[in-house]
Formats: sequence, structure tokens, C-alpha cells
Amino acid sequence: MLETAIDFTWSTAANIVTAISAGRTSALSVVEATIARIRARDPLLNSFTAVTEQRALLRAQALDDARARGERSPPLAGVPFAVKNLFDVAGLPTLAGAKINRDAPAASRDAALIERLEAAGAVLVGALNMGEYAYDFTGENVHDGPARNPHDLSRMTGGSSGGSAAAVAGGLVPLALGSDTNGSIRVPCSLCGLFGLKPTYGRLSRARSFPFVASLDHVGPLARTARDLALAYDAMQGYDPDDPACADRMAEPVVPLLDRGAEGLRIAVAGGYFKCRTAEAVYAIDRVAAALGANRDIEIPQAERARSAAFIITASEAASLHLDRLRTRAQEFDPAVRDRLFAGAMVPASLAVKAQKFRRWYRGEVLKLFAEIDAILAPATPCTAPLIGQRTFMLDDVELPVRADLGLFTQPISFIGLPVVAVPVPIAPLPIAVQIIAAPWRDDVALRIAHALEAKGIVAAQRPPT
Amino acid sequence: MTRKSRKAMTGKPKTARRARTPARPAPAKKHDAIDMLVAASAQALALPIDPAWHTGVKLNLQLILTHATLVDEFSLPDETEPAPVFRA
Repeated sequence: MLETAIDFTWSTAANIVTAISAGRTSALSVVEATIARIRARDPLLNSFTAVTEQRALLRAQALDDARARGERSPPLAGVPFAVKNLFDVAGLPTLAGAKINRDAPAASRDAALIERLEAAGAVLVGALNMGEYAYDFTGENVHDGPARNPHDLSRMTGGSSGGSAAAVAGGLVPLALGSDTNGSIRVPCSLCGLFGLKPTYGRLSRARSFPFVASLDHVGPLARTARDLALAYDAMQGYDPDDPACADRMAEPVVPLLDRGAEGLRIAVAGGYFKCRTAEAVYAIDRVAAALGANRDIEIPQAERARSAAFIITASEAASLHLDRLRTRAQEFDPAVRDRLFAGAMVPASLAVKAQKFRRWYRGEVLKLFAEIDAILAPATPCTAPLIGQRTFMLDDVELPVRADLGLFTQPISFIGLPVVAVPVPIAPLPIAVQIIAAPWRDDVALRIAHALEAKGIVAAQRPPT
Repeated sequence: MTRKSRKAMTGKPKTARRARTPARPAPAKKHDAIDMLVAASAQALALPIDPAWHTGVKLNLQLILTHATLVDEFSLPDETEPAPVFRA
């Protein structure tokens, strides 16, 4: 018998799948409730830029019809999800947070990851707000307005996947996709108190998503549990010739490994550059490290320089991507993004190539560390969510720009494509996350540790006040 | 014969700055130089920078070049290949 009154506001994807598979509810009921919640709550959060209601309802009905015919439920049956609006959604222009892109023709086909999630039974319900062209750590957007942090509506979500974080932390959807070039999944997960996976570079297909910095762009899920991350990740893995960076590797499912826990894994805490002195970041790292018995510090060599090299490559590649638009439509950019892109166009190629050469050296040095450890812990952000509109924050008595520097601990990691799971430490009044960093292709290690911490109650996505 | 790195041949410390040539004329002050770089680049690359945007572009370029200094002063062997895309 169907229980249409079940409240799925804070349900995990795994629980929704279980309820639908057991016949306790239907995909259509879940999706209808999701759409109703978005209509009611999103005017406050400003996380959605499009709601694909008709498509979602048809898709949900098709899933229920298949189940009624006796077909086996797929692994994400009836799980509503939404995507950062840089993913192509058939029938919609791909905004990438930009006014300019509103003139673009509607996408003719969904992004690869949307296709894969829907093939696994998930149901797309809409597209999400983001920082313009993903050049952002704030979650603010001058065209669509800022996404708002569900834990405090006056505060930033972090960016650039700000709408993705607001939608999941606000209980609108259990799962969202974001992109992470320098920290754009991990920073909003930290500020909004969510789990986020930035997979190994080349693991998940970026096909039919709007690029930012090709050599640094990753895509991945945000969710309220590590298991939901793993469920989505497993559904999205696999080679895709439509993304030149996608590695030709077999899928390596993580869900069956999750319960192995963190026992036996060698875990260290990043020292030096990553030794953040803000009280909330120190508390978060200490709490996670203690729970894992990680009592050893490890130095990631030249991490500050790595962050600088990522900064240069980002500026150069992003400017190259947008050069024609800068020449013809400069007035239509977000001024803060436009100024960064113009500046990036002026960086001498010799410096950009030097940053790429440094990347080779740095990668070699960091990979050596993984001969003696399995995972490294580091702060995800130096602070909890700043106020919307705040331009600077203080770190070790130095005033730093929010837009450029909220990701100063995430950039040295994505710079060489290492897999990372951001795990939320629930502290009052605002959450903050820790990065669990693993060796290339060992996304499973980071997810296992995240799941083990969650089981111990050390990390959790806390429900915000309503 | 194995190729030797510049570092191996010169024995320079890894992060050594290069010696400056003393006979050069005094360079323009850095902020003036960046002003000039912004103006010249805008002209040479046909970038339509409104005068009102100049300060914002300059501040961003200054920030990028500050980061670039940190990378530039790190000596690498000549044979180091760029890593334009990450491969594990």
C-alpha cells in the first residue's frame, strides 16, 4: 500500500530507493513532493534557475509503470536530482551562470552524467544557480542573484556550485551535480555542511558540460551522506569517448566496499601550508583526525606554490576560453568575472607554461607520499560561510579576498587531479568541512573513510532550521 | 650519455632567484609597469577595456603576477616537461 504522506525532505537517496522498491511509495509521489518543495522553499534559497517539472513527472510515471510490469528497480529508482546549470539539459540553453549564454540555442541532448544517472533510475528535476562561468568561490551571481545558505540565509553558499549546495542542504533534493575546477564542489560543501566528491581527474565524463579550465575541470556529486555519493558515483563511472580527458578505465564500484571502514588505512594530517589557525577549521580537523587515529602530520611539498600555479593556469585557460566573448560582449559579464578574465588574457604564455612544468614536478613529489600513506586530511575552507556581499575575510591577521581565496586549501589538490571527499563537521552555528584526499583512482578510499566517520557520528549533514 | 639538469650542472639551490644584470636601466615601478601592461595588452590584443574597468583589471593582474612570481622563482630542470593535463 502506498504511503503518499511520507516526508522525504531530509531522506537520503538510498532511503528513497528502498521505499520505492518496497512499494511503500511511488516515484511519482516522490517527484511531485519534490516539485512542491522546490516551489515552496526555493524563493528563499534561490538555488534553481529552471525546474523541469513535466519531464520529471513523465520520467517518474515511466519508472512506476516499469515497476508495475514487474521490472527490477534500477539502483537510483525515483531519486530526484538537479544539476548545476553548466550541464546540458535537452531543451534548455546551458547558462553556465552567464547572461551571455541565455542567447545560446537550447541543448539538443543531456549531459553525459545526466544520461547515466537517469539510466540508473534517477529523475532530473531542474538546473541550478552558479557563479558566472564557474569563476567563483562565493555562490553569488549578479544575473540570477545569490544562492543562499540554508543554515543562515544571510550567508554565502560558497561557489561556484552554490545552487547545488543550497538545493541539497535545503532539503529540496537529496542529490545534485556540481563541477570543481579549483574547489567549486568542496567549498560549497564546507559552507553548507554537505558531503561532496571531487573524483580523480578523468574519472567522470564532462561531456556536454560547459567548460571552465579544461586541464582542471572535474564534475561530481553533492549529497547528505557518503553512501549517496557512492551510489551516484557508481552510476556515473565509465569511459566516455565524448570527453577527451575521460580515462579509459573499467568502472570500479565503491558501494560494495563502503562498509570495509577505515581500519588499516594509513591516514595523516596535512601540515605546513594547510595548518589553518581559525578555531573552526582547527576543531574540525582535530575531531576528524582523532576519530581516525591520524596522529601524524605530513608535508605536501610546495603546496603554496602549487596553489599559485593553479591560479595562473586557471587565469590563462579561462581567458583563452572567453577571449571572443570579452571582445564582443564585455558589458554583459559579471564585472568581477570580467576583470579577472581580462587580466588572465594578459598573462605571458611563458608563465603559464612554467606553471604547467611545475605541475609535473609537484605531481611527482605528491604521488611519492602515497607510498607510505593512504589518505591525507586537510581543511576544505579556512572559515565558515561569510556574509553574502562580504568581499574579504581574515586569515592569520591577513585580509584576503573571498572570491579568490576561499579555495586556497582546495586548489593545491585539484591541481593534480587527486580524488577528494569533503565531509561536513557539524559545529554551531555554521558547519565546515574537511577534505579526505586519496591517491589517484582511489576514490574508494576517500569514500570509505567518509562513510566510517559518518557511522561514528563525527561528520554529518545537519538539517538546517526551517 | 644521460642528460643533466641545469640544476645538476650549476649546483644552484632549487629555489634560487636568478642574478640580476646590474647594467640595466632602473625598471619602472611595478604598479606603473602593470598599468602599462594593462594598457598595452588591451591595445595589442584588441580587448575593449573601458577606462572605468582599468583598476579592477590591474588589481587582478597584480594578483596573478604575484602568484606567478612564486612559481617563477622555483627552479626546475630544463628537461621538465609541462603537464598540460593531469595523468595519474
